[in-house]
Amino acid sequence: MSGPAHHPGEDLLLAYASGAADEATGLIVAAHLAYCATCRRQSRELEALGGSLLQELAPVPMASGALDAVLVRLDGPFERPPRAASRDGTPALLRSYIGGDLSDVRWRKIGPRLAYVPLFRRGGATVRLLRGVAGAQTGAHRHAGLEYTLVLRGGFSDETGSYAPGDLQVMEGEMRHNPVADPGEDCINLAVTTGPLRFESLLQRIVAPLFGF
Amino acid sequence: MLAYARKLSISRRNPAFRHTGLHLPMTPQAQELNILLGRVATMRDRAAFAALFAHFAPRVKAYLLRLGAPPALAEDLAQEALLSLWRKAHLFDPAKASAATWLFTIARNLRIDAIRRERRPELDPEDFMPEAAPAADDGLTMAQDEARLRVALKNLPADQIQVVELSFFADKPHSEIAAELDIPLGTVKSRLRLAMARLKRSLENASGENASMGDAP
Repeated sequence: MSGPAHHPGEDLLLAYASGAADEATGLIVAAHLAYCATCRRQSRELEALGGSLLQELAPVPMASGALDAVLVRLDGPFERPPRAASRDGTPALLRSYIGGDLSDVRWRKIGPRLAYVPLFRRGGATVRLLRGVAGAQTGAHRHAGLEYTLVLRGGFSDETGSYAPGDLQVMEGEMRHNPVADPGEDCINLAVTTGPLRFESLLQRIVAPLFGF
Repeated sequence: MLAYARKLSISRRNPAFRHTGLHLPMTPQAQELNILLGRVATMRDRAAFAALFAHFAPRVKAYLLRLGAPPALAEDLAQEALLSLWRKAHLFDPAKASAATWLFTIARNLRIDAIRRERRPELDPEDFMPEAAPAADDGLTMAQDEARLRVALKNLPADQIQVVELSFFADKPHSEIAAELDIPLGTVKSRLRLAMARLKRSLENASGENASMGDAP
């Protein structure tokens, strides 16, 4: 089978692999990796770079007794965190943020065709799940910052192309787009944004801040 | 310390590690480290663990210090990293990473969890969507790739090595790295791109050679 068609750039993969990515960026890249064998391979290569750099670092001596301190802990109790299985195929890394499966999400409606649920906000980045009923339009908008969108269910299309599950859309700067959910199935996306969205319609411009967009 | 591994003769018979002895490109040291890790995984071998500790803990500590961790925290996390190695050794897959790379990912994750008070979103292997049959690189382990990678890394121009290192050791976005080096952001990105292209070529050449050479020379 062929994987997703839209991938994070090498800069995003490097940020993820090196550990420099913030939590929001790390989450959406990791979620893409769950779908994409190609990017997993690339990410492993970048991690290998990290391994090579680690190997080349001049060692700094450990405290005396460090090894003994660890040796006595080897047989200590160690509990693996329990992991409940998903009932609807929600990736485990998302489940820990959602607090369950995608089908358990309690959506907050913004109008009849759109809904969202906030996951977390940290360091200027906001992470949400967004849901549009089949055929719904988000409304043309621009971004003051970055917008990363990963399709989890259904799909959407805009000026830049068509996006299916696993596809990651990266919008930067003042790019304008008008996403439309594909017909047939509701579209559920994981979205990371920095900076507010700037809608073109007056009504949306008034309503959006009320919902924190 | 690694002489310990040299004395072992049985490890290469372990099918999980059979690839590691086939090709010369992997450095003897990387191979020994993989073997030691294999012994920790399969036999809970404490002497092998002690040898891995002696090699890796001081490097993990150096890595954490480079990233700005206070010395006491760097010491603690280096110990934690090696404890994780003991606990998770059964998850180590030599086809996907060398021991050094695997430990790098452990240290990277521990640091994020501890210093940033952020979680590192961790991929669960069960999350992987079905993928195609193993690619043509089957049999060429990442550990072997890494020996090439290390050579290629050393041969990069100094300005490219610098941005690659800072990407891993500065914990800063590229915009801040640019400000620190007093060069435009575009230059940081283009140096990185050039470096990545060269590093990637070194891996692709390695696959090509192995495909045509079969066993090691």
